[in-house]
Amino acid sequence: MRQKEEDMKRLKFINRMELSFDKPVSGHAYALRCIPRTDSAQKIETLLSRVTPSGISKAVKDGFGNLVYTGSCAVPHTAFGYEIKGTALVDQNRREREACHPMYRYATLLTGWGPCLESFYETHKTAGRAAFEMACSFMQAIYDEFVYAPGATDIHTAAETAMAQGKGVCQDYTHIFLALCRKAGIPARYVAGMMIGEGATHAWAELYLDGVWRGFDPTHNRFVDDVYIKLAHGRDYRDCILERGTFWGNAVQKQKIYVSVEDIT
Amino acid sequence: MNELIDHADTVNALLARYGVKFGIYKNNEFHEQLFPFDAIPRVITKAEFAKLEKGLIQRVDALNAFLRDIYGEKKILADGVIPEDFVFASKGYLAECEGIMPPKGIYSHISGIDLVQAKDGEWYILEDNLRIPSGASYPLIARELCRRASPKTFMHNAVADNRNYADLLKETMEYVNCGGIRAILTPGRYNAAYFEHSYLAERSGAALASCSDLFVEDNVLYYRGYQDKKQRVGVLYRRISDEYLDPLTFLPESLIGVPNLINAYRAGNVAIVNAPGNGIGDDKGIYYFVPQMIRYYLDQEPVLKNAPTYLPFYEEDRKYVLENLGKLVVKDVSEAGGYGVIFGRDLRGEQLENLKALIERESRRFIAQEVIDFRDLDIMDGMDRVPRKADLRAFVLSGETTRVWASGLTRFSRNPDSFVVNSSQGGGFKDTWVLSR
Repeated sequence: MRQKEEDMKRLKFINRMELSFDKPVSGHAYALRCIPRTDSAQKIETLLSRVTPSGISKAVKDGFGNLVYTGSCAVPHTAFGYEIKGTALVDQNRREREACHPMYRYATLLTGWGPCLESFYETHKTAGRAAFEMACSFMQAIYDEFVYAPGATDIHTAAETAMAQGKGVCQDYTHIFLALCRKAGIPARYVAGMMIGEGATHAWAELYLDGVWRGFDPTHNRFVDDVYIKLAHGRDYRDCILERGTFWGNAVQKQKIYVSVEDIT
Repeated sequence: MNELIDHADTVNALLARYGVKFGIYKNNEFHEQLFPFDAIPRVITKAEFAKLEKGLIQRVDALNAFLRDIYGEKKILADGVIPEDFVFASKGYLAECEGIMPPKGIYSHISGIDLVQAKDGEWYILEDNLRIPSGASYPLIARELCRRASPKTFMHNAVADNRNYADLLKETMEYVNCGGIRAILTPGRYNAAYFEHSYLAERSGAALASCSDLFVEDNVLYYRGYQDKKQRVGVLYRRISDEYLDPLTFLPESLIGVPNLINAYRAGNVAIVNAPGNGIGDDKGIYYFVPQMIRYYLDQEPVLKNAPTYLPFYEEDRKYVLENLGKLVVKDVSEAGGYGVIFGRDLRGEQLENLKALIERESRRFIAQEVIDFRDLDIMDGMDRVPRKADLRAFVLSGETTRVWASGLTRFSRNPDSFVVNSSQGGGFKDTWVLSR
């Protein structure tokens, strides 16, 4: 039975990013995946987006189904940024069945296999149990054994490297979880998004179980529920980079990110 | 045709003068060298060419259907003709290109199909090159220079004129043009095939662009050349590989490429020749399945044969490969340009065992083929006429119709013991004559 819209959680969100350059840059081209879109589990009710200094063009769908907004700024500038604000209605129970693309079964650059993952996998796999139990076992084990430590890894760190050192951030939790699930034969994808509270953007995983993509958040050891807003998904972090850009200039750049999600139901 | 031999030095001198060079990287250093031309042409009779033509058109049509299918509906996988692993675990499959329908549905506009002729006269397909096959410019300019050096030769021999290549290229590009000028994108003069890029641009009337001459605005591609005039580009023949084509879509660490080119392409505002993602069509593992593809998509029997190939991925084939490794040639599916090719007969005891173990461990990574007994072609070695191994790269252009250029690049190995003819391995080339009667 379809629920009424009143039963959905209403979230107010802000996703802000500022890049500042110590010297002017020019010929700046960018591709953004920072704007949430409506799907079966989340409905974007109101949306206000501002990209400075020169805005965005019409969106195109990428190979993974995300909307990519592109833009360029030819003239010299010392700051670039965006602010995306709005409200979303979320209800994970409304998530519809979809076909699963086979690409989510295979290892990628950041989810490649290695001896540390292998031994972790051997310890925590649940022989003969259903995919769901297996995934829960992995999620619990990562949560218990992996240490949340900002700065221990960077955006290029692969799952095996993170596993070897035993610490990292949400991106690493997710990559490790993806690698283990794919090894177990469960199609798995990376999700970049926002979660209730204040801080930075977040990452979690979706597993294809019984015809539906279900969210798992190994960083918090919880199932993704109605306080999460999805921005993009792909095979690993590299497919979901919220802001990609190139420019001319020999400048040092600094990035500031602010994300806030508030329940206003 | 013997008088051409007397003119060989003249032709080679002209080729040098015109800058017909081939660049290779050795120990990270760029060396430009002349691409040695041998004056004795390969001759293909009219009847033989008709058969080749039929087989090549069929093959390229099937490969285009395959690429459309893989980045679209994936029916050939659902129907179990090709195992999914061979597609999605291959470096040639680009998920970033998923769902793109290129203008007019053409993925491979310019295909370079490599063939060899066996001693019994039978032609075998060695490999398909659907990404950025190079080489058409060499026989094109060589013919031009031969005609200049020895016009009589072409009065006395009925040779199909191959100087229409630039027109074929132009028509192929125009057919998919999304509105704008034609441009050829070159990585620059340190690329192995820079001569070809500039020559084809000049001959086909396209702008020769480097990455910094091109930019995307509102999902439209523009060219700004030295005249500083902004012109829309409707079709881009790029001679730069997929992963470096757009730093905002592919390798983020790439310093070259055109930012947001793929989004302009996705938006349907520019055609890219050849389409990004074609690497899955010329993957050495996928090669094995091309005859099945021809039956599947075209409901035809293949006219041209593949070299007898085994996939160690299949148990039966693996068994055969391990037992017969000494007489087979093994290829690493992820390598190109003559690299990663191992002849079993060159290996001794321990090496052979190591390769066997590797094949067992990573069975999907390799294919194995019977060594074909090539029909050698004569080349001039000083004053002597000596036989050498040679192959043929045929160029197939897909536009409104699929056409085979009545010529091709014949490459030969100068080393009498070598079977590898790739120019990156130091071979030479010949003109290819297709007789017109």
